[in-house]
Amino acid sequence: MNCLQTKGYFSAHLEDTLDNQTLKQFESHIAECASCQKEYDRFQASVKATQQLPEIEPSPDFVPLLWQRISDERTKIIPLWQRLSDLFNIPKWAIGGVLILVLACAGTLFYYDDIFNTEPQPDNRINLTDNISTEKNINTTSDQIRSNIIDQFFPQSFPRNIGGSDMFDTNSNQPMQQQYILKRVSYTTPTLAGGL
Amino acid sequence: MPETDDELMQRFQKGDADAFNCIVRRHQKPLINFIARFTGDRDNAEDLAQDTFIRIFKAANRYKPGRAQFKTWMYFIARNLCKNEIRNRGRRDRYRVDNVITNAQTSNGNEDQIDLIATAPADASFQPEVAIERKELRRATQNAIAELPEKYRFPLILRDIQGFSYEEISKILELPNGTTKSRINRARLMLKDKLKPFMELL
Ligand SMILES: [Zn+2]
Repeated sequence: MNCLQTKGYFSAHLEDTLDNQTLKQFESHIAECASCQKEYDRFQASVKATQQLPEIEPSPDFVPLLWQRISDERTKIIPLWQRLSDLFNIPKWAIGGVLILVLACAGTLFYYDDIFNTEPQPDNRINLTDNISTEKNINTTSDQIRSNIIDQFFPQSFPRNIGGSDMFDTNSNQPMQQQYILKRVSYTTPTLAGGL
Repeated sequence: MPETDDELMQRFQKGDADAFNCIVRRHQKPLINFIARFTGDRDNAEDLAQDTFIRIFKAANRYKPGRAQFKTWMYFIARNLCKNEIRNRGRRDRYRVDNVITNAQTSNGNEDQIDLIATAPADASFQPEVAIERKELRRATQNAIAELPEKYRFPLILRDIQGFSYEEISKILELPNGTTKSRINRARLMLKDKLKPFMELL
């Protein structure tokens, strides 16, 4: 074993992972080569110096600031493709293709939803008060599919109450998707109704 | 027995934000240390560590427990953010790294550098000369690490500061095991040469 080869085994010897034969060759070279011996001593000392670097303590506001940032991120409007690109770590052009496909599927769903919806459409001239509410719980099959699509792209792990005091409430074990209320566009808009 | 990272992530996936808070509290310190040692900048390290946790928060529902170790995934994200950060810093950073040693020797280095070496553990048998020498060595070590090329710096920090196994490092850095081993040995040899002037202190 020459000097260069010996240096190549410094870490393996230090971590005791050399096989018996290599170990013998390494140690016999070190025993007779003063230069390698000195280099190996320095090697061990510098590894020790790295391992003994003092640990850095996080600042006390690290966690509160993190939650603040998460909360800010939630309210920030990020383009969907940017969001997906970040999330899946894939190029934006690929997201574009997938997005078109998803929109096409969603469009088809909406289209069939209207065709097969046998419920009578609300008459905006007569029945005003019943349709004022714009929020409706999920109850139809197609709504369920849509919500599944939304769930796929918007992590259900985004709590609605980020940053609020409920954040650290350990008693709250409610699954997050139950906290979502999907906004559904009403067929009758209150402004139109009010005008008539 | 404390909950594993996987158990916490599963709780978080079910909507328990407190579980994510536990993850953050558990990993904030090693993560900040990793980033600070890599970038040589303590203040920015906290921002980058927060960026890492935000990425994890956003991608949490895609995490598959048991498939990859949580830590490996976290450091993989952190490493990519560090690389982006270094790339974005560009020339400014290169200039700074060039000046780190000069600053250290004039004992007038910037705040971050001082911060990175000043948090030494208290010593009962306090000797001013020894303390100064140790501080010098710490400063030199930090600067020598910051001077290493990225491909050597990452594995060295993961091994000698974070204490990862070679297998874990290979996963984080997406390298074959043999390459990881040889890079760590090479990094240590480079560090040894850089620290030569300080070796008499040891
Ligand atoms: Zn030799």
